[in-house]
Amino acid sequence: MNIVIVGCGRVGSRLAREMDAQGHHVTVIDEKVSAFDRLGEDFHGEMVVGTGIDESVLRRAGIEAADCFASVTNGDNRNIMAAQIAKVVFRVPRVITRIYDPIREEVYREMGLETVCSTTLVSDLVRGYFVDGVNRAHRTSAADAAAAAAEAVVEAAQEVRT
Amino acid sequence: MAIAERPYVLIIGGGKVGFYLAKHLIQRDYEVTLVEKDPERAERIQHELGTVSVMVGDGDEMAFLAGTGIERAGVVIACTGDDEDNLIACQLAKGKFHVPRTIARVNNPVNVHVFTALGIDAPISATELLMGLIEAELSGSDMVKGVAVKASGASLIDVALPNLSHVTGTRVAELELPEGVLVVCIVRDGQPVIARPDEVIQPHDELIVYSRTLDVENVRLSLAG
Repeated sequence: MNIVIVGCGRVGSRLAREMDAQGHHVTVIDEKVSAFDRLGEDFHGEMVVGTGIDESVLRRAGIEAADCFASVTNGDNRNIMAAQIAKVVFRVPRVITRIYDPIREEVYREMGLETVCSTTLVSDLVRGYFVDGVNRAHRTSAADAAAAAAEAVVEAAQEVRT
Repeated sequence: MAIAERPYVLIIGGGKVGFYLAKHLIQRDYEVTLVEKDPERAERIQHELGTVSVMVGDGDEMAFLAGTGIERAGVVIACTGDDEDNLIACQLAKGKFHVPRTIARVNNPVNVHVFTALGIDAPISATELLMGLIEAELSGSDMVKGVAVKASGASLIDVALPNLSHVTGTRVAELELPEGVLVVCIVRDGQPVIARPDEVIQPHDELIVYSRTLDVENVRLSLAG
């Protein structure tokens, strides 16, 4: 698959590395060149410097041939706008955007965007631990806790979607 | 309703554009609320404009917007320096508060048609307008000014003919113009003359031209070139 990711912070870089390791063609967009350091030496994908809310930058990142698009910068509005450009202007088949603010997330989910709200996901996981004492984020093995957390996030995201 | 209400305008962003816009609209007797994030700047604006209501907060925050009386606004104008914030503020205004008209300042000119595609009624790019005017100034001594007709993509272009223009002496009906271009008015000795088909173009005429696109250069070449 061709994957375009806007934002090369912790989430963006991790997602990029994982998808790249699975053999997908990944392009990451970030305004700061230094952000690409997070991708590590063995990343085979492409890096585009620029803002994800500019069509010409998105074109340079190959959005016209993209199968999947994710906007995961730390700005909610920027993520929403980038995702809408991907979905409406470029008609990318799968578009998902990360939104911190739960209220805004709800509004844009209602308006038809696929969204992931890390705030509600984490608070739900913590609440679950308080209620039934099971830490779902660490439930498989302590050694691969981070991977399990990511899985839980994906699961929860799918739940949110359905 | 016995008395016509003053139109209520909500301006988001108290930078230079928002500030002067608020000032101007108050003089035109609009009811204006201005939203500004920075409390210090908001206080300064309040102090300078007096009669305007200035609210401190985020123009893209649902709960805050609800407290601004946004649902009775006839128009919301988002003019911060960030395109994403302007877009989201206008989308919330329209989608959640049913504001009939949204106007957004577009900072990056390539985003104008993105804004249109995403439902903003009137995206306005100062950069694009300025570039058009500067381009017209650069294209020769003859003044060619283009004004976009709202967001339709059409424009009205003011072409001052150079002394030796090849169209001088030609009847309006015989002008060879690009597709979608029409001479609507002639300004002769400072007076407007309707461009009837039999009207003959004189030296020093200024032509007001309608064009389906904002292709100022193309129109200029066909008339003044």
